[in-house]
Amino acid sequence: MAAVAVRRALRAARLPPVPRRGLAKPAGPPSARQLREADEAAPIFQYVGKAAKRKDRVFVWGFSYSGALGVPSFVKPDAGWKKPRRIQATPYRLETEEKITSAACGYGFTLLSSDTTDITKVWGTGLNKDSQLGFQRSIRDRTKGYEYVLEPSPIPLPLEEPQKTRVLQVSCGRAHSLILTDSEGVFTMGNNSYGQCGRKVVEDEVYSESHLIHQLNDFDSRVVQVRGSSESKSEDGLKTGLGHYNITSVPTKLGGDIAGVNIIQVSSYGDCCLAVSDEGDLFGWGNSEYLQLASVTETTQVNVPRHLPFKIGKIKEAACGGTGNIVLTEEGSVFVWGYGILGKGPNLTETAVPEMIPPSLFGWSDFSPDVRVARVRCGLSHFAALTNRGELFVWGKNLRGCLGIGRMEDQYFPWRVTIPGEVVDVACGVDHMVSMVKSFM
Amino acid sequence: MEKTKQWGWSPQWRKCCRGRKRKNTLHPHKERQHLPVAAEQNRQRWLFAVYKPPGVAWNRVRDAVETRLLRELNAAPAWPPRSRIRFLPAASAGPPGLVAVRVPVLAEHRLVRGPRFTQLKIGAGHRLDVKASGVFVLGVGHGNKILSHLYNCHLSKVYTVRGQFGKATKDFSDTGKLIEKTTFDHITREKLERILAVIQGTNHKALLMHSNIDMKTQEAYELAVKGLIRPMGKSPPIITAIRCLQFALPEFQLEIHCLHETQQYLRKIVHEIGLELKSSAVCTQVRRTRDGVFTLDDALLRTQWNLQSIQNAILNCQLRVKTEIEKTMSHWDGTCAPGGTSTSPLG
Repeated sequence: MAAVAVRRALRAARLPPVPRRGLAKPAGPPSARQLREADEAAPIFQYVGKAAKRKDRVFVWGFSYSGALGVPSFVKPDAGWKKPRRIQATPYRLETEEKITSAACGYGFTLLSSDTTDITKVWGTGLNKDSQLGFQRSIRDRTKGYEYVLEPSPIPLPLEEPQKTRVLQVSCGRAHSLILTDSEGVFTMGNNSYGQCGRKVVEDEVYSESHLIHQLNDFDSRVVQVRGSSESKSEDGLKTGLGHYNITSVPTKLGGDIAGVNIIQVSSYGDCCLAVSDEGDLFGWGNSEYLQLASVTETTQVNVPRHLPFKIGKIKEAACGGTGNIVLTEEGSVFVWGYGILGKGPNLTETAVPEMIPPSLFGWSDFSPDVRVARVRCGLSHFAALTNRGELFVWGKNLRGCLGIGRMEDQYFPWRVTIPGEVVDVACGVDHMVSMVKSFM
Repeated sequence: MEKTKQWGWSPQWRKCCRGRKRKNTLHPHKERQHLPVAAEQNRQRWLFAVYKPPGVAWNRVRDAVETRLLRELNAAPAWPPRSRIRFLPAASAGPPGLVAVRVPVLAEHRLVRGPRFTQLKIGAGHRLDVKASGVFVLGVGHGNKILSHLYNCHLSKVYTVRGQFGKATKDFSDTGKLIEKTTFDHITREKLERILAVIQGTNHKALLMHSNIDMKTQEAYELAVKGLIRPMGKSPPIITAIRCLQFALPEFQLEIHCLHETQQYLRKIVHEIGLELKSSAVCTQVRRTRDGVFTLDDALLRTQWNLQSIQNAILNCQLRVKTEIEKTMSHWDGTCAPGGTSTSPLG
């Protein structure tokens, strides 16, 4: 008896209880406990870590047939379903190999530069009929160069120490380019019919397919900024501010009211130039046909820099357009004057005295009172303003879609451009624009 | 014989009814149901706001308010019953013949006719869905017509929305089916405010575009400077202002001023904010704190849904509603007509 009981107990201890399958129950809505368990069992995905850096991007928009946007499929479609796109009306992302620190737009061409120590520092795209992008060797015929460059192509610079020198800034004029480096001076290339490249004018020089890149190295002090501008159509030649109307092909120091003043910023476009001193004063010279300098002179040409006595506060930044000018003061107010679509509605077409654009048009309101304009830029007949929140506002004549607002109509007051990122800098050309943007995250 | 009132399908009834159906007026023999307010106040703006709790549908709230009002109105003391002279046969002991007796008219007794008020016309303003809570505007009687005028003013509403990072669900709220869980420790208040600034900017652009004003006119410039441009017709939901009130990972609270929105759209915005921040977010609470001129202080709680509080609320809000409608109508009269109104609201 006792042996049987012992054997039964041992059998039970050896074999675990068999799980029996009961009858199936109907499925119902998950109970709170099932939901909680499913919640806890779900895997957690990580898309971005704590130390993720924000990516730098370049967006372009405007007239694309010259190749200035750097997207070859707009001009020559590479797939059957793509159609040639004459105008890119909204910002389009341009893929670049390196982080672009400086960009400049000329008439139908764009320069992008990076402050890397690699060999390739500057890329150019667009019109190259005057070798404003250097010599771009054609693949089909090794002796000829490209007239139109459709993709950002590297510009070889004759640097002494290519792996040490950094490119600080690039600037474009109508048909010439200037590249500022930190230790090897300024490199210029392109059209030199008025001496804008800083070298002697050669009669009947052929500028296309030229290998010539001129280097300007003999300045007294360090060059901090370069600015190229479109040349004028009059016979007087480029307005140099040197007291005469002849052509100058050698960089010369300016006189007039500017002598002895520390200039922190210079801007020019078309035929008018503006300079801002470190104390917040504004100096102007050049063409005044459109009332740009009418506050100090009645004549239409000013060949000596004159101080512009505007009572609008300390000026931080100034930008010149073809017919209108814009300045930004220390408090963040924006003033415009000149001729054209100035940004205060269709009724204001010309003024000699600066008019302020109300900050509520740039996103300022009682809800967000700390919105301020941080930068102003000017194209040939349009303006751009960047706020401290990273928003880009544009207004002016919408030439071939250069405003980037999705419409082809002119914009009479500041209008936001929708860009998926925080805009850091923008370069305005005649019919296209380039912006450098940081992604949100 | 005295004239008796005819009821039913008799020729006299049908004569009275002729033309009534088209005019949509009440039958001349029936008593018009008036609320006990003095006659000169009958044409005022009878609008008030209640606080809708979460978890309850909006029509249930409207029905509950109507039921409570009806209960109080019917409990009010009734008119004293009418009496009439009837010639009844004399009592058995006494001379035979008819005796004049004053008896109450039983046909008008409350137990015979039923309650005096069976239905009240209470209309609802901008609705709130089941999970949302907050200010819910109701209109009584003539106020229903004012509700449509208030709708045409297109005033913005203010919501406080609470969200939680880390989860993404199917219906964007925390009670929905879980789709994905993500990390959120990389999110800072600065990044959230950057995204909110972009949302505000793109919605401001949509506000200007949907307002149907020609951007090339000087008038458009003047209105844009003052910030008075608003869509005065149908438009997709637009957020006029958004900012972060509280930020404590994983939870955050936003204040949103919007137009033509639904609460599900606000939950979708919270979900999209989570996606922009490379994480995910669900909405835990949507609460309306302001609907046009009615704020949280004007909203009546459930304990205050009685006749006296409602009358006080109506009197408090009347002036504000009137000025707001006048302001919007006068401003837009000359430029563009708001959608759908032909009669003056102030008549």
